[in-house]
Amino acid sequence: MNRVRFRSSIQDSPFLRDLLRVIVAILAALAIGFIVTLLVSDDPIAAYKAFLFGPVSRLNRFGDWIEEAISLTLIGLAVAIVFKAEQFSLGAEGQLVLGALVAGTIALFVPLPVYLRLPLALIGAMTIGFIWGLIPGYLKAYLSANEIVSTLMLNVIAIKLYEYFLTYYIKPPTAGFTSSAAFPVEGRLPGFIPPLPFLENIRLLFNQQTDISIALYIAIFATIVVYFLMYRMPFGYELRMIGINIKFAHYGGINTKLVIMLVMAVSGVLAALAGAHLALGIHHKLLLNVSLGLGFEGIVVSLMARNNPALVPLTSLFYGYLRAGADIMERNSDMSREMVLVIQGIIIILITAQGILPIVQKQISAFRDDNRVAPIGGSE
Amino acid sequence: MPPEIVLRSILSASFIASVLRISTPIILPALGGLISDLAGVINIALEGGMLVSAFTGVVVSAYTRNVWIGLLAGLAAGILVSLLLGYFHLYLKADIILAGVAINIMASGATIFLLYVLTGDKGSSSTLLSGQVPNVNIPLVENVPWIGVVLSGHPLFTYLAFLLTWVVWVFLYRTRLGTHLRAVGENPDAAASVGINVLHTRFLAIGLSGFLAALGGLDLSMAYLTLFQREMTAGRGFIALAAVFLGGRTPGGTLLAALLFGFFDALATQIGSLKIPPQFVQMIPYAATIISLVVYSLRRQALANQRARRFREQHLSELAAQQGTND
Repeated sequence: MNRVRFRSSIQDSPFLRDLLRVIVAILAALAIGFIVTLLVSDDPIAAYKAFLFGPVSRLNRFGDWIEEAISLTLIGLAVAIVFKAEQFSLGAEGQLVLGALVAGTIALFVPLPVYLRLPLALIGAMTIGFIWGLIPGYLKAYLSANEIVSTLMLNVIAIKLYEYFLTYYIKPPTAGFTSSAAFPVEGRLPGFIPPLPFLENIRLLFNQQTDISIALYIAIFATIVVYFLMYRMPFGYELRMIGINIKFAHYGGINTKLVIMLVMAVSGVLAALAGAHLALGIHHKLLLNVSLGLGFEGIVVSLMARNNPALVPLTSLFYGYLRAGADIMERNSDMSREMVLVIQGIIIILITAQGILPIVQKQISAFRDDNRVAPIGGSE
Repeated sequence: MPPEIVLRSILSASFIASVLRISTPIILPALGGLISDLAGVINIALEGGMLVSAFTGVVVSAYTRNVWIGLLAGLAAGILVSLLLGYFHLYLKADIILAGVAINIMASGATIFLLYVLTGDKGSSSTLLSGQVPNVNIPLVENVPWIGVVLSGHPLFTYLAFLLTWVVWVFLYRTRLGTHLRAVGENPDAAASVGINVLHTRFLAIGLSGFLAALGGLDLSMAYLTLFQREMTAGRGFIALAAVFLGGRTPGGTLLAALLFGFFDALATQIGSLKIPPQFVQMIPYAATIISLVVYSLRRQALANQRARRFREQHLSELAAQQGTND
């Protein structure tokens, strides 16, 4: 009886089914990672241990993990909102780069006190993100131009613009390689622990060892805002309707074109915030390679969360942990960190493969039917 | 460097030859992208397929000491990658864009990972003695002054790229299978209703696109350069996809679009000494792609409107005629 109930609840509840699929995908990917480590490494146990437990072994590594999770949360939210509306915008990368550019420029050159300079930098980043999302949104909504192609093109244009401004205007002429000067203190996001007397010791410790900044609160706040936007406001209802059935949404009186355009623009705001976090909170300067493909990593995070903004911070913590662990593994063993990219790819492909679970279920029940020696319960 | 000299160097034979060579690894995957796109399965994984076959070609040719075995292994690897995409999309119902993104990420990670395992170096395979697919010198033509430099002495892949453009055109527009393939892309339900196997046709299209992408990847690592570098495709798979759209989804247009990308790429390095920043020159083809997307969809909208109007007029005149007979 119990088993019957279990099986049917799996089949009935989409949430349980999704959860199961995600967990199975993660476990399978980690197992494949372990097999690869076994085959390649001279000391596979130590390598995998560094991978799995590294991020919690020291405070600075813990900091790397949380910083990674903050960037991933912001990009993951950006991806979740467009994917929920079934718009396959891949433009987070370009929006992130331009967000970093604008935030960094303001942080470097606008002579304002910190409490004005930082908000201005963030608003600047959000504005450019909005614009860089509005363009493919307009092209898709009103001219039905394929958003995959247009966002990929806009990514390259954004990166070239970034390189151009960095090389010709922002880089100090004396600098040996292409990066900006370090930001002044007024242009850096302060540490996340408030300067209260009784927290002084722990604050100093964290500020010395980690770069966890107030971007932590920005990410949490952004999660709440996106969740409310998507599930408690008309705009969110409309974008979800479009994601489910755009024709139905249109006949239902939703201005689908406007909503699609705005969805992409809002997504750009979030991705640009991630860029601002990277520049102002972690690097404290503008580097030539600011993102290194983070825009695409947001897809994994969002997919694992089934495009649900409330789950994005959790999956970001999980995936940030994998990335931080891979870094530590690389530094402490003969394994290279790119293994985590393979794990990442396997996770995406297994989660998106809608057909796997029914096949597995069928096999399991076939296996059960074959092996049923005696009836298990009267009712079955 | 004054502009006249730049202009003269653009018209020089060696510049045109370099455009052809730079365009080759865009033309080949672009033809692949065209085939799969026409079949209604957009192949985002061209980039990953190129990377994997470039890597496999180098490694196998280094270990077997035979260029041709390396080439075949690279082709096989590229086709396998695309069939993996096809299997996950068509049979396990994974979203093709996300599965494509996943394959690109895996390809990037796995090639760097294996490169490190095999050579201890994460940057390039320079310690491996990999083979080079020979360049082709056309007898007689190679001795003609200007034309010889333009037409002769290119890697085999460059000639293949032009030849295959024609082959792909014949395949798509002059064979039964090609017609089926386009029908499946145009309207899968209609195609299925006349007995075309949509799944098989799409699987074939993805496989062919993998084959063509593999040729592009092998050109990069066994002709253009003779080693593998991490991320050596550098977005060419995506550029190829853009070339398909810029070229209006036809073989000839795709070829021209890919050549245009190659031209601007070569130009960007050529005018480095001018006052124009190279970043802007490099941007041009991407901006052009966006503009052409807009033009393409505007034209399609206009065409649809025109058809709708004609249909309405016809319908009205028929109605009028009917009313005339009724009266």
